Amino acid sequence: MDTVIELKKATKSFPGVRALKGFDLNIYKNEILGLVGENGAGKSTLMKVLIGMYQLDEGEYLLRGQPAKMKSSNDAIKEGVGMVFQEGCMLLNMTITENLFLSNEQAFIKNGILNLSEMRNEAKTALAKVELNIDPQTPCSRLSPAQRQMVEIARLLWLSEHYGKDNPVMILDEPTTVLQQKEADTLFRILDDIKKHATIILISHRLEEVIENSDRIVVLKDGDYVTEMPADQASVEGIEELMVGRNLSGEHFRESEQREPETENFLEVRNLTIEGVFEPMSFSVKKGEILSLVGLIGSGKEELCQCLAGVRRPTGGEILINGKNVLIKSPKDSIRSRIGYIPIDRRKEGLATDFDVADNINMLILNSLKSKGFLSRFKEAANAKKWVKEALIKTPSIRTKCRNLSGGNQQKVVISKWLAAESQLLVLDHPTRGIDVGAKDEIYHRIRLLAQEGRCLIMMCDTLEEDIGLCNRMLIMKDGKLVKILNCPAAEKPEPLEILSAIV
Amino acid sequence: MGIYAGKLAENSYTDQGQLFKIKRFLADCSVTGQLLSLAIVIVIFAIGTGGTFLSLTNIQTIIGLAGIPMILCLGLHQIIILGAIDLSLEGIIAISAVIAGFVIKNPNTPYDLGMLVIPVTLVIGAIAGLLNGILNTKLKMPSFIATLGISWVMFGLAVFLSGGISTPLLDLRFQNFINGTTLGIPNVTYVAFVLFIVLNIIQKRTKLGKYTYAIGGDEILAAQAGINVTKTKIINFTIAGAIYGLAGLLLVARLNSSAARLGNNLLFPAMTAVAVGGVSMSGGVGGALNAVFGTIIVTALNNGMVLMHVSPYTQSAVNGIVLISAVALTIDRKKIGIIK
Repeated sequence: MDTVIELKKATKSFPGVRALKGFDLNIYKNEILGLVGENGAGKSTLMKVLIGMYQLDEGEYLLRGQPAKMKSSNDAIKEGVGMVFQEGCMLLNMTITENLFLSNEQAFIKNGILNLSEMRNEAKTALAKVELNIDPQTPCSRLSPAQRQMVEIARLLWLSEHYGKDNPVMILDEPTTVLQQKEADTLFRILDDIKKHATIILISHRLEEVIENSDRIVVLKDGDYVTEMPADQASVEGIEELMVGRNLSGEHFRESEQREPETENFLEVRNLTIEGVFEPMSFSVKKGEILSLVGLIGSGKEELCQCLAGVRRPTGGEILINGKNVLIKSPKDSIRSRIGYIPIDRRKEGLATDFDVADNINMLILNSLKSKGFLSRFKEAANAKKWVKEALIKTPSIRTKCRNLSGGNQQKVVISKWLAAESQLLVLDHPTRGIDVGAKDEIYHRIRLLAQEGRCLIMMCDTLEEDIGLCNRMLIMKDGKLVKILNCPAAEKPEPLEILSAIV
Repeated sequence: MGIYAGKLAENSYTDQGQLFKIKRFLADCSVTGQLLSLAIVIVIFAIGTGGTFLSLTNIQTIIGLAGIPMILCLGLHQIIILGAIDLSLEGIIAISAVIAGFVIKNPNTPYDLGMLVIPVTLVIGAIAGLLNGILNTKLKMPSFIATLGISWVMFGLAVFLSGGISTPLLDLRFQNFINGTTLGIPNVTYVAFVLFIVLNIIQKRTKLGKYTYAIGGDEILAAQAGINVTKTKIINFTIAGAIYGLAGLLLVARLNSSAARLGNNLLFPAMTAVAVGGVSMSGGVGGALNAVFGTIIVTALNNGMVLMHVSPYTQSAVNGIVLISAVALTIDRKKIGIIK
């Protein structure tokens, strides 16, 4: 088989993470390559390297035998490598024709004027290749998600032909999440046809689909290549095992500090629902308990947390704090109910990065720092110093702007802010994302201490292992439904594998 | 109905008759709402004025009155499609009017450029527009601030240069042209019409036009597709500036005298016309035809109110309400994260 892409010792690091750990990978002509791995396994980094959005730190990227010199996804398209993004990248205010040829209209220009009928005819031909029979003058806002995807595929095909690149490489990121089953079938039938003169890289968390539709499957794990196999020899269970495949011996998540929660409930949720997002669900959190929410993107777990934080309003159900019914309509209500929310993007949502450490820590409790009706600089400083000491925040002074702190220390400031406001329940949205290993351990330790003090924590973690390791109990969600509640006592943590099958 | 045969798409694809083409053209331009609004305005005032509103002279008046606002609106809507805003129109009119007053035959200066004044005012406006574009793209200033600043700079400069007084003109050719009619239609309307045709071609049939819509639709995606966003924006601001410069000259011609205050109070009607015409303030939607309809609706509305002796203060309030309602109807709220 001819190779089209060759990666040699591909290495890519980000601050605190080695996203690609130096592996070799060959991608062949006329194949559908299934790429699987957990969140954070390095799939998206790898794809962004292939389409030129990232450059390798070390190692070689050979495209059709030549070193690839792409600096952006636009360069990559001209070299015949393109990606259909999960969120889609189409200008909805423009027509199919306009989108197909955007920034490549040069071919249709005569005397500075676009030849519209020629563009339309070319668009018709391009759409026919993906069996799309619609008027190319249709505005893209009127297309269904499936049709949009097809237009993007048609665009990639047209561009590679236009730039004279044979065997284009097309990367499809979770193409079926927005499709009905029937539409997905059609998609794969067309892909199978396109394969005759192209290479397709399929990224999907639906393992059955990958096995059924690809020729070869590559498994990634923690930024490294695990193995590959022909798809006809693969099984869902086998791949799941390879995806998780780390033994959990040894202490990664300070399991010895895990305590049994108290008997009393702090939070109780009854039939909470957002119509069309997640179905009515009930659960409770005891004082001193760490609860993990596990599920894929789209399972509804994020939205559930947003309801608790007052960012989104549920359409039905009740939230009880200490047995009392509370109405959470806004973040303000949620703060009053002593619920703290630590968002995933602390730089954007969790912190005012242009404010200093003291301002951020004191943000929610300014009322208690007043003296004779005005804010007291002295009280502000005293409170900030107390928390800097308590949370071991490494900062030159309490007046240092938060943008100048490391990710780990920023996270500690966010947590301190909520603790200063005496939050009893903290919702932690990926608390360790983008934080290096040492600081992670400190955060784990802090989470354990918080639980020991009798606070409740609801978490969504970066990896399944982290969820299992940290939590007392696990709530598994799938497609907006609460599927399972699992106990995770320190002594007998469940296997990731059995959980994985419930999630996917 | 598979994915490849959405009902709507299927029907429209097989039907290629002449009537269909007109229907599709109207749908493409999305002016059906505007036609309806115009019809409502006409019916209300036709009844309210007992028919005077629909008399031939009044229709001629409306078309004549709409001329200069339409030119301004055509310039402004180009920037709104881009997803930006341009508040510099009054200042650019002021500077181009004052300079025009200097170079057309007049009692105060020794210059007389004759017809060459037309390219001169276009270039003055274009330079001011270019400054808008550079501030917006190179210095990364919000267009709202950049153009507001330029407006005041230009106005100040105009007052300084003119000494704050009006200059009467001795060359009557301009006034005769602008106040004259051809085939019963005011000449200024022809100028607006030519501009409409030119902009329509730019929008529909050139790269520049497509890129303008792409940037208005989603600037980040447009840049990712390889569009030179900075260049496209600067060119559009320059075009808009040149159009305001032209309007400055026409205003000078109409009064046969130049002054810095000629542009005063022209931004609001132009903005209202853009919104009423259906050009979305969030960018990427609408076109030259929308600008034309918007101006006609707004002009007809104001003319009707005058005929019905509505008090000027009430007229202001009505215009304000029209602007707010039009924006409320056309803005794409999904695109807006935080309102500043």
